[in-house]
Amino acid sequence: MPRDARIHEVPDDLLAAIDYCYGQGWTDGLPVVPPTVERVHATLAYEGRPPETVIATHAATGLELSVHAAAVNAVMAGCLPQYFPVLVAAFEAMDKPDFNFHGSTASTGGSAPLLIVSGAVADDIGMNADVNLFGPGNRANATLGRAVRLILRNVFQMIPGISDKSTQGNPGKYSFCIAERMRGNPWPLICETQGYPKGVSSVTVFAAGGFCNVENHGGNTPEQVLSSVADAMANYGCITLGQSVVVLSPEHMRIVAGAGWSREEAQAYLFTHAKRSVEGMKSVGKYRGSEYDKQHGASANALVESGYVHRGLAPDDILITLGGGDAGGHSCFIPSWSRGRGSIMQHGPIGVCIDCR
Amino acid sequence: MQLYDPTTSAPQRNLSRAAPLASLDGKRIGILENGKLNATEMLHEVALLFEERHGCKVGAVYCKLNASAPAPAAMLVKAGQEVDFLITGLGD
Repeated sequence: MPRDARIHEVPDDLLAAIDYCYGQGWTDGLPVVPPTVERVHATLAYEGRPPETVIATHAATGLELSVHAAAVNAVMAGCLPQYFPVLVAAFEAMDKPDFNFHGSTASTGGSAPLLIVSGAVADDIGMNADVNLFGPGNRANATLGRAVRLILRNVFQMIPGISDKSTQGNPGKYSFCIAERMRGNPWPLICETQGYPKGVSSVTVFAAGGFCNVENHGGNTPEQVLSSVADAMANYGCITLGQSVVVLSPEHMRIVAGAGWSREEAQAYLFTHAKRSVEGMKSVGKYRGSEYDKQHGASANALVESGYVHRGLAPDDILITLGGGDAGGHSCFIPSWSRGRGSIMQHGPIGVCIDCR
Repeated sequence: MQLYDPTTSAPQRNLSRAAPLASLDGKRIGILENGKLNATEMLHEVALLFEERHGCKVGAVYCKLNASAPAPAAMLVKAGQEVDFLITGLGD
């Protein structure tokens, strides 16, 4: 164990131990699983590196997340040991400078890291990619997302009101973790588009704002379905130069991909149509000349339309995939944290090292 | 029952402050704006007070692209060479 690993001796009573964790300020408001030495060691067995290995560092304070500390918080969240490689990969991805986990967590914008697990690992550990995708009930989804928050609190001290200044927060701050649906997915998986070797799963991390349900039960063409999504993306509360996550329900995917649309075509349509006029942006006080110039400048994407502010800088700022239950014309759009590009989504392989130094 | 502590100790860091200026009179001001709405305008208003009260002059304006990340080290080195003190901001 790391030299500075501290042990707390508590009475051998489970409820008392839960109350002890509350008393120490270690929880997210819900009861945690007391991080016993035995359970932490069982979790560490799923990571091959020494427990003192640092997997993420907080740029603002220098606080470090070790494999050991990640395992302690994983146990507290309720994770089974076999989930641990996903959590480790998630924080290694969040540690990349462009993700900026300090800014996205501390900000008034109230984002939460959304984890999207892609590939066989999702099935291996029993994740949910189906009915009630973003809702409660699945241990892997719920506890992985929860472990992220506990680590942000306990290790990086991102405490609400102190170093987490979100104005209203976001329900995803309890847990925000899904699996990409493989069953019936007509498009390449996210991990395949990210370039990982066959058989390697990935986790994508995204500093996410609030979840927006996009309902359309009447549209039956790709344009009708995607226009509903684009409209949600372009609402005045969300439209910035930031990235987006769109999860199409199976019903909507059958309409879009069933008409022969590729992921790239869907992205291009969304980018083209998720826009507001400059006059409209000015009317609500959200127009920034510097942002317009950035979008329309020398490196402007070919689909950018003069006189309009689009959501994002390019179609590939929109991660779009499949998820949810078979029934229901309900897809979702999830915007990036606050204004724009302070955090860029990142990803990493699960359980393997692709570019080890 | 033995429980592992889930928290981490803060690393020991050697931090030092720049020596305070003996006087603000006539000094060169740098403005480091962080891209937030009205940051440039507000910081210039603050600079104006130094100009009026101490005869300072705005020497340079620096712009951070990311409000929630530290300014690039090269920018701070440059500022250290070009101005005597920085005014920076802005929060929400």
